[in-house]
Amino acid sequence: MRFIRLSLRQAEYNLVAYTRSARTVIFGVLMPVGFLILFNSVLGDKSKSILVDGHQIPTIAFYTGGLTTYGVMLGTLTGILVSLVSAREAGWLKRFRGTPMPSGVFLAGEILYLFVTSLGLIIVMLAVSRVGYHLSLPGHAYLAIFCYTLLGVFAFSAMGLALTRVITTSEMAGSVGPFTVVILSFVSGVFLAPNLLPHWLLSFSSYLPLEPIVVGMQHAIALPGGSGLEARPFVVLGIWGVVSFAIAMRNFTWEPQKSR
Amino acid sequence: MANVIEVTGLTKRFGSLTAVNDVSFSVERGEIFGLLGKNGAGKTTTVEILEGYQTLDEGRVEVLGVDPKKGGGAWKDRIGLVLQDSDFDPSHTVAETVKLFAGFFTNPRSVAETLELVGLTDKTDTRIGRLSGGQRRRVDVALGIVGSPELLFLDEPTTGFDPSARREFWTMLEGLRSGGTSILLTTHYMEEAQRLCDRIAILAAGRIVAEGTSASLIALAGETMVRFDFEPGLDIVALSQISGIDFRVVGDVVTATIPRAQAQLLRLLQHAEHEGIELRGLGVVRPTLDDVFLDVTGETT
Repeated sequence: MRFIRLSLRQAEYNLVAYTRSARTVIFGVLMPVGFLILFNSVLGDKSKSILVDGHQIPTIAFYTGGLTTYGVMLGTLTGILVSLVSAREAGWLKRFRGTPMPSGVFLAGEILYLFVTSLGLIIVMLAVSRVGYHLSLPGHAYLAIFCYTLLGVFAFSAMGLALTRVITTSEMAGSVGPFTVVILSFVSGVFLAPNLLPHWLLSFSSYLPLEPIVVGMQHAIALPGGSGLEARPFVVLGIWGVVSFAIAMRNFTWEPQKSR
Repeated sequence: MANVIEVTGLTKRFGSLTAVNDVSFSVERGEIFGLLGKNGAGKTTTVEILEGYQTLDEGRVEVLGVDPKKGGGAWKDRIGLVLQDSDFDPSHTVAETVKLFAGFFTNPRSVAETLELVGLTDKTDTRIGRLSGGQRRRVDVALGIVGSPELLFLDEPTTGFDPSARREFWTMLEGLRSGGTSILLTTHYMEEAQRLCDRIAILAAGRIVAEGTSASLIALAGETMVRFDFEPGLDIVALSQISGIDFRVVGDVVTATIPRAQAQLLRLLQHAEHEGIELRGLGVVRPTLDDVFLDVTGETT
């Protein structure tokens, strides 16, 4: 009970910081929304549908699914990486360590907060697609999107945590995070239609942690029938998440990294 | 009553450097204990071992009856920390930050009371990013005392304070002590230690070189001191022989403690007058902790 109460307070504390920082709002919300509008304006008229993993889906569904997932990954991976590395750098983590707060609270509060901001982003993206481009979702899509978001926040934050092992300054964290996400997005059918990518690259990126969930999201939004959930994203991202988490938790360090 | 801190034969090495060397002391319940020393003397290492951040190599330490390395949440609940440097999220207000920390403890002070104690009441709703360095340090102290700790660790707490803030801070610590809080304080301000600490240990190169109340430490330096400026051509050896005073030159100051002040001073002054030597900046003073510190560490602060 105490753990949950403290984690909620920690999440609330993080949310307050999020709303007060122009950087997080710009990168977290305005950029994905801006891309959505931009890509639809440029390419929405040229092709009515795009082939994604065996299914023709409407262009707006392609961009809404892909860019939303991109936004979730950007916000989560970069968010946890930057906030952990800078908290560690500033001695803030060490300070927490000296209080009776259970050590898991810091992480739980962080992940909880990233889940809330991710859901917020998804709501904004869906609203823009609906109002601006008449995207209508099949009924099962909402549950599927929710589940994929849970999966994504888990896997991406675990990857961000694992990266804190090699990235020691907040300056580095702020550039490595977005860079990783953007590169991954280019090869995972977020910005470019998958049939524009060479075959070998596409089959390679299907083992990376973004392509499977992008396809899952796009299918959930576009295809009627079924639960809207596919197994592949859960298998691939699940493995990435669990392995990353294990790496992150092994000798996790609370101290600033330039000691002595 | 049992001591709140018990340190026996504490030794800590970093590679070939022995940072803390066979240090023993104890802190009684309800007292302010001062660890003095210049930078690199081993103060922070000692304190971080007591706080549970670092592991000792040899010896034994007990804090509130517990080995700090095994201290869990219940132990941390009774302890307040002010580390040497921590930084906080600049976008939160002072009150929000203190409130977050208050939630970690079983029996916290109210945010208002805590801010009153550290003199930040008028900054309650100011964001951390807009505070001065000294004000941020006070937030640090607020986070250290918000849990109403039995034992408070303060690692150079008044660094960056202006003189009046420092005085207010001392008054606050005296208030905490009369409320029953035990305090371990490290500082390199001698005036601070002399004013606040019930007992003091002076560390130099990882060892305790002197320990006692500030009065008993000052007594080590004798009752009266004389000092004057050193000038080239001044024959210190001759002055020492004639007056029977054992002069030392520290920097550009000649200083000595004089056991038989009246007779020895008279001889010194008569000799100087007779030889036409002018002792510039001559002063006869009671020694302070500063003088003891210089004496036992053999260096300037």
